[in-house]
Parts: sequence; C-alpha cells; structure tokens
Amino acid sequence: MGGLCNHALELTGPTGNLDSRVHRLDPRAKILGLITVTLVAVSAPLERWPAYVACAAVLVAYAIAAGVGPRALWRRLRVVLLLVLGVGVLVPFVRSGGARFEFGMLSVHQAGLEIFAAVAAKAIIGTTSAALLGATTTFPAVLRGLEALRVPRLLVLIAAFMYRYLFVIVEELARMRSALVSRGYRPRTALQAGAMGRVAGAMFLRTYGRGERVYLAMLARGYNGTMPQRVPLRLVGTDVAFVAGVALIVLTARLTTA
Amino acid sequence: MPDLPLALHIPDGFLSGGVAGVAGLLAVAAVAVGLRVADRELDEARVPLLGVLAAFIFAVQMLNFPVAGGTSGHLLGATLAAVLLGPWIACLVMAVVLATQAFVFADGGISALGANVLNMGILGALLAGYLIRLAWPLLPKSRTALLAAVGVMSWLAVMVGAAATSAELAISGTIPLSTTLPAMLGVHALIGIGEAVITVTAVSAVLAVRPDLISLVDVGPLAGSEPAPLPARAEGVLS
Repeated sequence: MGGLCNHALELTGPTGNLDSRVHRLDPRAKILGLITVTLVAVSAPLERWPAYVACAAVLVAYAIAAGVGPRALWRRLRVVLLLVLGVGVLVPFVRSGGARFEFGMLSVHQAGLEIFAAVAAKAIIGTTSAALLGATTTFPAVLRGLEALRVPRLLVLIAAFMYRYLFVIVEELARMRSALVSRGYRPRTALQAGAMGRVAGAMFLRTYGRGERVYLAMLARGYNGTMPQRVPLRLVGTDVAFVAGVALIVLTARLTTA
Repeated sequence: MPDLPLALHIPDGFLSGGVAGVAGLLAVAAVAVGLRVADRELDEARVPLLGVLAAFIFAVQMLNFPVAGGTSGHLLGATLAAVLLGPWIACLVMAVVLATQAFVFADGGISALGANVLNMGILGALLAGYLIRLAWPLLPKSRTALLAAVGVMSWLAVMVGAAATSAELAISGTIPLSTTLPAMLGVHALIGIGEAVITVTAVSAVLAVRPDLISLVDVGPLAGSEPAPLPARAEGVLS
C-alpha cells in the first residue's frame, strides 16, 4: 500500500549544529549563496566540469561548517535523488551519437553517457544545495528572506499560513487514510481511487471550516490584513562575505577552462 | 525500489537554460495575473483561508494510488484547485505549493521551478478551469454533466502536463521526444484516471454539502443533486 510519505515531513527543519555560524547567517545570504551554486552548476556544460567540483566543494564546506553530517544529509536526499538518478540512468540507452560501447546485449553511446554525467552532477548539486538550505534555515526564516528579496507579499503570506497548518492537515489526512486501510481498503487499480476522492472532499470541507475559524479567531485578535512587524533582517559583514566568497569561488571555476 | 511514487517534478540539470528561462517567464507571468486577480476579487484579509487551502492541496498530493507494476501515482490537484478556487487563484496556490516543495523538500529543482509550476499547476488549472467555464453554458445543468466535465478535464490536465514535460526535456536535448512522449503519456494516461476519479468524487462530495464553495462556475440548483449518502456522514465514518 502506498505510504503517505512522498515528502517525509519529519525530515524538514534545521539540523546539525543549530548554533553554527552557517545557521546564524542571514536567510537572504543563504538563499542567494545556495541559488548561485545551483545556477552555476546547472549552466555549466560538461567540458567545464571544474565548476561542478567547485560547487560540490562549496557545499561540502557549507555542510561541515553547519555540522550537518553525511548521514543526516543522505536521509534528506535519498528519496529525491534515487528517483532522479533512476531516470537519468536511462538516458545513455536512448541517446545515440559518438562512440558506441557494448555491454552484452545492451549498447550505450558516448553522447548519452556525457549527458548522463552532466545531468547527474547538476541534479546532485542542485538537490544537495536545496536540502542544505532546508537543513540550516527554518521555513519561516526562508520566507522572511524571500520577502526581503522582493517576492510578492501575498505569495509569502499564503506560504506562511500553508506551513503553519500543513502538519495538522497532513496528520488529519493520515488518520483518514488509516481509517480506510483498517476497513480493508486496498486499491489495486487507479479506478478504485474513489474512496480517496471522498477523503479529499471531506478534507476540503474540514479544511475550509478550519480556515474560516482561523480567520475569525485572527479577526477577534485584531488582525486587519497585515501581520505585525518583526525585528527587521540585518545584513552584516559575514553575510556579505559569505555570498561574495561563494560567488567568487564558483564563478571563477565556471569561467576558467579546464 | 518498492512503491516509489511517480512524479513529474523536474530536477536541476535536466533542462537547458533557454527552456528553463522561458518556462520561468511564463510561470512568473501567470502568477502575476493571479496576483492581480486576487487583488481584485479577494479581500486581503481572507489570505489565511488561501494558506490553509494551499496546505490542503499539499496534503492531498500525498494521496498515492496504484498505477501499474508496483509503481504508484499521486494526485496533482490542479483541476481540483481550479474548480474550488477558480483558475487564477489556483495558479497562485499551486505555485506556492510547488515552490515550497522545491525549497523545503528539495523536490523539483530550483532552476526548474518555473517549468514545474507550469507543467503541474498553471497549464492544468488554466486549461481545465477555462474549458469547463466555456463549456458550462452549453452543458445540461446537472450534477452528472458537471462531474463528467471535471473528470475529463482532470485527465486531460495530467496528460497536457506530461506532454509539456516531455517536450521541455526534448527541446533541452536531454531525452529525445520519441522515447519520453510515449512513456510519459502511457503512464500518465493511468495516473490521469486516478486523478479524475479522485477529483470527481471530491467535487461531488463538496457539491452535495456546500455547493456554494465551487468557485469555478455558478452551479446554482442542479438536476440530480439528491443528497449523496456518504459525504454528509464522511467525517464520522472516516475519522
């Protein structure tokens, strides 16, 4: 039976040494730094492979400084990365061009292998840098960073409320799901998904009710459409140095030829 | 690998810069329209409700159903969101859900976020939303007709998303179209059936209890909307 765990919710939130210098960086600095790493890696063709090495080195240094061990990191990467590499491995068998290698009945082409190598390197770097952002920054801090980086406020507000109720709603759904399972629901084809539709319908009505109650409770506490101001984010020298340092390392590696 | 859920989330590295950029611009444009629509139609103070509904979409995306050969698919929910919230607000909610998955769960690359929002949110929400809206005046005003339209469109939305994903991968030069398109459409024809079954039952449950919450079309009094036995009791039965 399909588990209820595409996204293992328990595998989110900061981990490692929570008081490390990396954890204490301004969220904007972490978002910008890690996005730079991802974009540099994604934009680099295979010939510029030193860029991959530089990005990976920056991520390893980041993880070490944050005290995020390989085991904790792998737990977060496993689900996504195995699926990604599983798809990527098919590429060499379906692309033709270049030299041809025979492995018994299977044959792969050089062009396919090159694409696979590049795709795998980029996917690993991109996924790791997103996982490291999550491992060193709380979701509310990511949202504050994004808001300060001029992401529209409405989107940030929706995301903030979504996160606040996500865990309650997912648990409610899991309870309904176990209720189905305990009554013998074992769908074997997609056509038997109807019961889950009724779960979704009931969930929507409950969720809507919850949303209305939350809204009324907020009104009762003086909510007028704006959230109270918090202490503003402050960029300090370390934050600027972090972004500049990361950008300098990965861009230099990207722009110099191997 | 036992029972891995199939998903369309494109990771970093599978798309060329051009494709990721164009998809990103389209996604930003749709979200911008969504923000204007929300500004016009939505009292800003109702934002908490949108947030809770985004959490609902996030959660129902975890509903897995069997597809074939031990793999499972999961609900995408773009059509469901479009029927319940209207096409443009649905775009906003889907964009928030997918961006959160990329930033927090590393599911779907940040460089491919625009493409993922386009494939799994915007295309489905706008296509299903507008086609149902256009067809509504022509359809008989009955429960069955609305649910049939919802079913067909939710299947189509999944197929269009899968086709768009294959096209983006092919244009990027990662995987040729001749390989991905048949495979993606084949698997997603089955995933689409699960999506349609879940969306239709969910909409039918909402229609039976709170027809006023269907934002996409003005349902009014419908023929054949005798009380369905389950939804009213669903809370007690299922918890």
